[in-house]
Amino acid sequence: MARHRMLFLAAAATLLAHQASAQDAQVMHWWTSGGESRAVSVFAKEYEKRGGKWIDGASVGPQAEHAAVLNAIAGGNPPAAFQWNIGVAVRQLAEQGLLSNLDDMASAGGLEAASAAAARQEHHRRWPRDCRPGHLHGANWMFYSTKVFSDLNMAPPKTWDEFLAEADKIKAAGYLPIAMGGNAQQTGWLFYAMLAGVGGKEAYRKVFVAHDAQAAGSDEVRRAFETMGKIRQHADAGGTNRKWNDTLALVETNKAAFMIAGDWAKGDFSAAGMTVGKEYGCLPAPGTQDAYVMTVDVFAFPKVTKPDQIAAQRKLAELMMDPAVQVEFNKFKGSLPARLDADVGSLDACAQLGQKVMAGGESNQLPNFALAFGPDTQGQIEDLLIHYWSTPGMSAVDATKQFSTIIANAGS
Amino acid sequence: MRIRNLAAKAVLSPTVLVMLVCFYGCAIWTAYLSVTRSALLPNYQFAGLVQYVRLFGTARWNVAWSNMFLFGVLDIVGTLGLGVLLAVLIDRQVRFEGAFRTIFLYPLSISFIVTGLTWQWVLSPTIGFQYFVRGLGWNDFVFDWIIRPDRAIYTLVFAGVWHQAGLIMAIMLAGLRGVDREIWQATRVEAIPPWRVYLSIVLPMLRPLLVTCIVLIAIAVVKSYDLVVAMTGGGPGYASDLPGKFVVDFEFERANIGQASAAAAVMLGSVLTVLAPYLYLELSRRGR
Repeated sequence: MARHRMLFLAAAATLLAHQASAQDAQVMHWWTSGGESRAVSVFAKEYEKRGGKWIDGASVGPQAEHAAVLNAIAGGNPPAAFQWNIGVAVRQLAEQGLLSNLDDMASAGGLEAASAAAARQEHHRRWPRDCRPGHLHGANWMFYSTKVFSDLNMAPPKTWDEFLAEADKIKAAGYLPIAMGGNAQQTGWLFYAMLAGVGGKEAYRKVFVAHDAQAAGSDEVRRAFETMGKIRQHADAGGTNRKWNDTLALVETNKAAFMIAGDWAKGDFSAAGMTVGKEYGCLPAPGTQDAYVMTVDVFAFPKVTKPDQIAAQRKLAELMMDPAVQVEFNKFKGSLPARLDADVGSLDACAQLGQKVMAGGESNQLPNFALAFGPDTQGQIEDLLIHYWSTPGMSAVDATKQFSTIIANAGS
Repeated sequence: MRIRNLAAKAVLSPTVLVMLVCFYGCAIWTAYLSVTRSALLPNYQFAGLVQYVRLFGTARWNVAWSNMFLFGVLDIVGTLGLGVLLAVLIDRQVRFEGAFRTIFLYPLSISFIVTGLTWQWVLSPTIGFQYFVRGLGWNDFVFDWIIRPDRAIYTLVFAGVWHQAGLIMAIMLAGLRGVDREIWQATRVEAIPPWRVYLSIVLPMLRPLLVTCIVLIAIAVVKSYDLVVAMTGGGPGYASDLPGKFVVDFEFERANIGQASAAAAVMLGSVLTVLAPYLYLELSRRGR
């Protein structure tokens, strides 16, 4: 922590020292893992190529970064841009007038038309117009071991019913049918796949977009919970409180057939020296072939007054939304470009598959918890899901009822 | 007029000030926030008991709150019992006393995070103790408490006792060594068995030390957060959740200051209700 404070101070000092030189831009973020930092350096190199000076302000983890950003803004020395999770907090910063208004650029660059409709509107809370999305991650991917399925002479399941019918056969061959860890993150990902894949996209949208409590208590949702309960018996006993990358390791070592996870898992695979299509494969989770559950981080631009700083910010915003730069950035990040008009020909097979689904229109673009609800509601849903997952005695009817109550209290 | 002990008071006053502002001030502030509708940002308008109504209607809180008492009682009894037992055994002039003392005191030098992680590995049925015993040939051996919602809280007690028993042993051993030799000689003349001497004479003499130990363990129980985060993550589900984790989750992850404050206030209140009468009794007894 102290080290980062030092880094941050050093960066701030450089910023002051170079105030005279034009268009220094300090960008604060928490993308520090291998693939992530390579992705950020795409922005950095491009910015320097366009004549600015990039000052990297990396923190370890969101909490440290949030604190550093708020301190910098409060101290009157705001960075040119900072990364944030989409959600209530960044909207409140915008409402308090702490962010620059880059509205005019959105329509000029064709951004408005090109970005994913659902991500832009952020549903009832509105996409903060002062932010730029960095990436579009998908949360409903099935990462499978090609070795396990070729040993079994089987294709990865296309529906959850198909999986439940085949699970015993997979188990008999000595493999774990599904790699699943019992923590809030992973039960959340599985629930997206359940609700979209069993309950259907329409039910999903009614709950996540319209916050319709009646739909949340419907038979479709109940069936999703029922299926989730049936899947539980095919997971291993060691899953309690297991971190997602440890769970993914079961697939990487060919012990488990597949795992439901977001496409950030690709970074883990490539760190293990594995490539898509060879050692592992990716497909949308069973039943969600035409759905993409979006996970988005944004860049926000704090309000600045000096002409130099304003110019630097606009230059940053412009290049971050440049389709070519977006493609290059997301190649390392493992996600889709936030602009749907970007050419994804150079991205891997998973990304191309995802882009095709996203291009299918708004009905395919599903929001995740963070896009759809505030953190309080998200927390309540996560508590319910993890409790349901780890309590075999709890009925799907009960879970559905509680889910409906949470949605009813979520407000619009 | 001369102020007595001016230097002492001057040295102490910053500490007193920090205590007043940071400890009592923040406690009062938190208590006040718990009767408002604060969410992401504090809101100072009085709103009655809404936060408490919601809190006690939350299944997870009720689990966490009752876990605190279960964990607290078992941890205090277990740690105190084991710590005193170890101290007495070492007091009986065992060989290699220094080695034993070091071994038992070692866990204390390990942070709760590492303790939790280690015990998680040891207790995990797929990689830990159960796996090991099955590897020896007992194929039906089952020890999976850490993944059973009704048992996981007890695994936290194991780890807590393991971690703290050494400290209690060290404190009690120091006390035992301070007991007057003549008492032992007198009991030997009367031919009273040693266990009886410990139980009826020596330990009652060390009552103030026992109170200190109980307070130390109780503090560890109430503030326990890192242990549960590292070991069970509050799981399976939220079966082994504790109020400390509940408060941190709501305050920092869920941006719900109101709920977090209400939970913190209930935590403080229940600790005071349980401990205050006991401490009052003990301290007034010592005063007499």
